[in-house]
Amino acid sequence: MKDSKLLRKSTLSNFLSAPLKYIILGVLLILILFPLYWLVINSFKMEKDYFAQPPVMFPLDGTLKNFFDIFNKYQLVRGFINSILIASLTTIVTVFFGSLASYSLTNGFLPKRLKEVLAGGFLIQKMYPAVVVAVPVFFVISRLRLMDNILALVIMNSSFNLPLVILLMIGFYQEAPYEVEEQSMLDGCDLWQRFFYITTPMTKAGLVAVGILTFVASWNEFLYAVILSISKAKPLTVIIAGFITDKGLAWGPMAAMGCVVILPVILIMWSMQKDFISGVSAGALKG
Amino acid sequence: MPVILILTIAAFIPLVYGFILSFYKYKLNIPSMQPLFIGFDNYINMFKDELFVKSLTNNIFFALISVSSEVLFGIIVAMMLSEDTGKSRLMTTIILIPMIIAPVVAGTLWRMMLDRTFGVVNYLSSFLKMPPIAWLADDRLAIYTIVFVDFWQFMPYVAILVLSSVKAIPDSLIDAARVDGATAWNLFLKVILPLITPVIIIVAMIRFIDAFKIFDVIFVMTQGGPGSATEMLPTYIYRQGIKFFQVGYSSATAIVFIMAMSVIAAAFNKLRSYQLRRLA
Repeated sequence: MKDSKLLRKSTLSNFLSAPLKYIILGVLLILILFPLYWLVINSFKMEKDYFAQPPVMFPLDGTLKNFFDIFNKYQLVRGFINSILIASLTTIVTVFFGSLASYSLTNGFLPKRLKEVLAGGFLIQKMYPAVVVAVPVFFVISRLRLMDNILALVIMNSSFNLPLVILLMIGFYQEAPYEVEEQSMLDGCDLWQRFFYITTPMTKAGLVAVGILTFVASWNEFLYAVILSISKAKPLTVIIAGFITDKGLAWGPMAAMGCVVILPVILIMWSMQKDFISGVSAGALKG
Repeated sequence: MPVILILTIAAFIPLVYGFILSFYKYKLNIPSMQPLFIGFDNYINMFKDELFVKSLTNNIFFALISVSSEVLFGIIVAMMLSEDTGKSRLMTTIILIPMIIAPVVAGTLWRMMLDRTFGVVNYLSSFLKMPPIAWLADDRLAIYTIVFVDFWQFMPYVAILVLSSVKAIPDSLIDAARVDGATAWNLFLKVILPLITPVIIIVAMIRFIDAFKIFDVIFVMTQGGPGSATEMLPTYIYRQGIKFFQVGYSSATAIVFIMAMSVIAAAFNKLRSYQLRRLA
């Protein structure tokens, strides 16, 4: 039985013949891994090696100078703290309010029709591209005197991620058995107790998945970061874009900064790959 | 309630505000100038503006090419990874990397590699006796380079989603087809493909809409250049509104943009419900 299963899967994966499969996957592997290798070795290269002809493929002597540089000259610490704060505050706000909203949309006492209208309303916000409200948001944020404040970025990122989170969490709350909810109602739990102690713990896997999605999305966000931050609220993504100037590229610091930006998300992804994939596919297929 | 509050501040007010502004002539760089009501002039000027038309056609071209190649290769790669061995699980983990790294970093990374004089890509291609190519400075080539970077980042996204839907197909269906003597290619064409079509349509829709949100990669790689060869709608709106302070005009573009997106989304939804009905 096991053999036949293995067989069917392997013939299926060879549907374009086995050699072609290895060629395509091999090319893909190189295409993905080589740029990452290049980024990492460039962050350790000596100044002269960037302009060497031919390029230095396997540098023999490395240096940590680039990392010291971004630490000292380019506000690495501040950018890193900003990025962490923006991403984690956004995740907390989004997951907390998102689960409250979707709990009330599934188990709350609102009329069914109103629930559907509200859930549909959240969908609309997911549809349009963020850039179309860039100019009005710029006005609203400067009126609120939140310019160059990470709070502004937390608000914007939350608003971009909330619709997806609500949509997904509605699905997870619907899967949680309602009988347990009824039982605890009989036992005298009020709404808040049911939310915090009974139902939400049952959706833990879902919470983790949407949390990861939100964290990665706000860590990587760039458009609003570049519009709403001037100097002290700059996250890492804005700082790295600043290395590309009219005069040329700051190769070393740029590569080092690139490593700093991608390392956390790769670690998160590797440690929680299952949740990440389930979040991504739920996000696409339910939305 | 707090949710409604946040969404109101961050989403609905700006949207309505933008709609109102789109009927005004309002320039931010002349502080003394009051917003002046000009009706539909912003909308009319838009289609007279060559740069707008250029960025619109660029964006459509970019969306069509990048989405179709991503979907095509996404399906192929997903099928190839569908066997349940350690090797294909490892490969799945690896192809996840491009899609989670920040688009800004992907852009800078390829910007370094594709540099005309010092980039490693031109060095490697010189082994194939190819002359150095100005990947980003050639006005015909640049848009394909952007397509490639987008492909590099988001083909895995398509592959992962298609892969999970291929894995969800019950074994009995495939076994039955194999008993009837179907070859692997026929199995794919006649059994698998029809079953995963609804997912493919959704994924294509998501990628198509996302293609009109591209900003980060262009911002770091070409800034819309050379000339206006890679100018797309988001970078255009950004430049008009935030750089040149043409607030009213930029808002009008944004409104047209939203309407176009709704039409596209509605079209895809029609296609999807048609497909689902055919399957049922």
